[in-house]
Amino acid sequence: MIRLGLRLTLGSGREAALRVLITAVAVALGVGLLLAALAGMNGLHAQTDRGAWLDTSAQGVPPGSSADPLWWLSGTDEFDNQAINRVDVATTGPGAPALPGIAHLPDPGEYYASPALSSLLKSVPADQLGNRFPGRQIGVIGAAGLPSPNSLIIVIGHTVHQLSKAPGVVQVAAIQRTPASCYACESTIGSGPVLEFILAGGAVALLLPVLILIATASRLSAARREERFAAMRLIGATPHQISVVSAVEAVVASVVGVAVGFGLFFAFRPLLYHVPFTGSPLSPGDLSLQWVDVSIAVIGVPVAAIISARLALHRVQISPLGAKRRTSSRPPRMVRIMPLLAGIGVLAYFDGAGKPGAIGGQLLELLVGFVLLVVGLVLAGPWFTTAGARLMANRGNRPSSLIAGRRLLDNPKAAFRFVSGLVIALFVTSAVIGALSSIASATDTGVGGTGLDTLAQPFCAFSNSNCPASSEVPSVPATVLSELRTTPGVRAATIVHQSPSAGQQWNSSGIVACDPLARTPAIGKCAPGATAATIGWFFTAILGNNPHASTTTWPSAHLSAAEVGKLPVDAVVVATDGSSGAIEVARTALEAAFPYQGTPVTVSSLGPSTARTLTMIQDMADVIIVASLIIAACSLAVSVAAGLGERKRPFSLLRLTGVSTALLHRVVALESALPLLLVAAVSIVVGLVSAALYLHSQVGIAFSVPGVGYWATVLGGVAASLAIIAATFPLLDRITGPEVARNE
Amino acid sequence: MNGANGASLVADGGVVVEARDLVLSFRETPALRGASASVQRGEILAVMGPSGSGKSTLLHCLAGILVPDAGEVYFDGQRLDTLREAERSRLRRERFGFVFQFGQLVPELTAEENIALPLLLDGMHRDEALRAARHWFELLELDGMERHRTGEMSGGQSQRVALARGLVAHPDVLFADEPTGSLDSLSGELVMNLMTRAVRERGTTVILVTHEPRVAAYADREVIVRDGRVAAAAKVPG
Repeated sequence: MIRLGLRLTLGSGREAALRVLITAVAVALGVGLLLAALAGMNGLHAQTDRGAWLDTSAQGVPPGSSADPLWWLSGTDEFDNQAINRVDVATTGPGAPALPGIAHLPDPGEYYASPALSSLLKSVPADQLGNRFPGRQIGVIGAAGLPSPNSLIIVIGHTVHQLSKAPGVVQVAAIQRTPASCYACESTIGSGPVLEFILAGGAVALLLPVLILIATASRLSAARREERFAAMRLIGATPHQISVVSAVEAVVASVVGVAVGFGLFFAFRPLLYHVPFTGSPLSPGDLSLQWVDVSIAVIGVPVAAIISARLALHRVQISPLGAKRRTSSRPPRMVRIMPLLAGIGVLAYFDGAGKPGAIGGQLLELLVGFVLLVVGLVLAGPWFTTAGARLMANRGNRPSSLIAGRRLLDNPKAAFRFVSGLVIALFVTSAVIGALSSIASATDTGVGGTGLDTLAQPFCAFSNSNCPASSEVPSVPATVLSELRTTPGVRAATIVHQSPSAGQQWNSSGIVACDPLARTPAIGKCAPGATAATIGWFFTAILGNNPHASTTTWPSAHLSAAEVGKLPVDAVVVATDGSSGAIEVARTALEAAFPYQGTPVTVSSLGPSTARTLTMIQDMADVIIVASLIIAACSLAVSVAAGLGERKRPFSLLRLTGVSTALLHRVVALESALPLLLVAAVSIVVGLVSAALYLHSQVGIAFSVPGVGYWATVLGGVAASLAIIAATFPLLDRITGPEVARNE
Repeated sequence: MNGANGASLVADGGVVVEARDLVLSFRETPALRGASASVQRGEILAVMGPSGSGKSTLLHCLAGILVPDAGEVYFDGQRLDTLREAERSRLRRERFGFVFQFGQLVPELTAEENIALPLLLDGMHRDEALRAARHWFELLELDGMERHRTGEMSGGQSQRVALARGLVAHPDVLFADEPTGSLDSLSGELVMNLMTRAVRERGTTVILVTHEPRVAAYADREVIVRDGRVAAAAKVPG
């Protein structure tokens, strides 16, 4: 039977060969995309693994460790909107742990910089960057310590005496080698759990359409194949024999497809390095495949193809005549959209009722709402397809819309199945991008351009309730203030002092004299006639923490300017003309004057690591949108090709009677584009609405529609999808030519 | 002269379709080797011959589906074989009707939508086209089948729907290629009876390719094609 299967698959003329070829090409495309997605995941893991050492401080000293501990202080610096990972170290003995990419730990007064940072240090004036880092460069950090080739990292050596007193410093006995499970990690890529969550979401969103494509491809030309199998059944072949023949055909096509898929992956892998999976380029070798990945493709895909082919054979096994009565399936009922409406209802209820007090309640709302929405979208898909198709068939006056509409109504579930992979991808990405753009919009409206022009150095006591008394800053030296004020582009430098009554509570207030406050409007203003004000938290944070500082009139503090000046310092705020040079010179001056006190940041910007995570999510969402749309279009194109095979004769006879190919193109375009566009539109709308409801109820941020970039990505993806569908037109023209009808 | 249904005579309206010395080969295989034929307006002409004789090829040349390598085809006094494909397509859509052996209905459409399709292609409003299509159901004894689809009809019913679709736009010429080839004799007779009645009423010219004398008996005249030539022309016995 296997030999007969091979004979039928490979030796049945051009048509059989073409069918195997088309199936193989589709499988190859699916396998190529699957391998790209798996390699992309591996690349991300490689990046996070190489960046894990930057999160070493999160682990502290393991009990009972015998190694000479290392004093360790890590933080994120910033230059021209780029994040710099800064690690300050001090060794306590020769047994201190080694760092990846660095031969010897730097001694006091020495530092290692990554290649990208080394170039930056050479090209940028020292007063904008180099002066922040004490000592001299003694080497370059090797590739083993670089998450990405363009990572900006510096490792600075200190004496134990210097570093042990710095706030936030820890002793470590070993270097972190795997991504840490912490929410305050400093690695360039992002924290472990957040990253895992994003990766898992991205993988599901991307892999689902790929699997649907492979399943679709393996069922290509099912009708013709079933016809042949039915004929075999008629002359006495057993269902088992038919299964074997079918499996052989599926395996041949999928094995060829897998081989070509690997070829495609390796051919296009150099281009994949340019895909912004994380916003940081991958290093050579990152896009590797593990044996598990290879097994999934080499074993999983042919097995999936066999299963899919077996499922497709049910009809033939039932009837040796293989005659399928073409009757309409029962149209999907209204009940299918209930879970979707319930999901929106859950989010809307919490929006109206207010956010649940307990974290558990909030998680429950999120979980129930979003699970209902995802399940609801998948269930409602055929119903939406039916509604759109019915409208097109009954209202359209053109033959193309009539034929396409009827075709979709014939089996709306099948029509939806080919694009169902899009649902999760577009829903998730739209919800995420909707949330991100709303957060960005909320942070922008608060302080606007003024906030971006103003730099603030919040000292330990102001920003961290666990700040040791030793790190308190009693005053700002006059030389520092003078240097700041004489820097070209700097307009004012204002000192925020510790409030005598604030205690240690987080979100504490500071005291500021009104005269200097007037010169730094980004952090608010005094009431008329006041000499000092009690000033609250003025930074913009990810969830909209005080985005309105610039318009705030702070309550008056009953202190004179002289009394305020005697209080310890909480923060230094520098207003500039917004030029990069002025901001970086001021930042460098503050960092040099107050080492170990963290990085001065612009008032309205998100923290560099938060901004980086958001950029990464956005980049990944863009990749997922475009990729899922294109993969869904590939599934559609394959199903179109299969559908054309079934309708070859009526279509070619229509052409004989004078019907133009343009009309047949319109039929194919409509019946493919309608479910694609409907599903895309519904998923996007539901994603954005759920983001709006969740943000409003949980975070208190008003929803704002995503910007042009998002819509351009979606439209670009849709255009690419339609182009892929249009790529089936030449096939349509060829297989419906008059010669075909004559020879059928 | 009388057709097999005894209903009508050949209308003497002049030649409507004519082929002169048609030559056509498919690669190395000659299909037509100087075939000539002409059809009078309102006439039912049966083209007979054994399998592979070239009768379907002749019909396809007369309908402008194929262009002969040599020779001339005229429709209504106009040279057809020199027209561009787009013009021939328009002519087929607007002036000709077709009935084939099987598989010509669009499977997704209902019977009435299939019949209305040529009218919709001509730009007629949907409701009007469907109204015109429904008119054929009684005529072709298909009452109650309006909403049925290909899979829900018998072969004979499908052929009658196809016949209605071929005639609904009032073509000048109906080209029928083995229209009863896939039907049993009773169904075939019903289709032929209904077809001849409908075309007689409308004065439609029919070129009917068949290898069955029983079917050819419905024609006013028959020609026999052998080895790519029209070997004989004969009046169908009354």
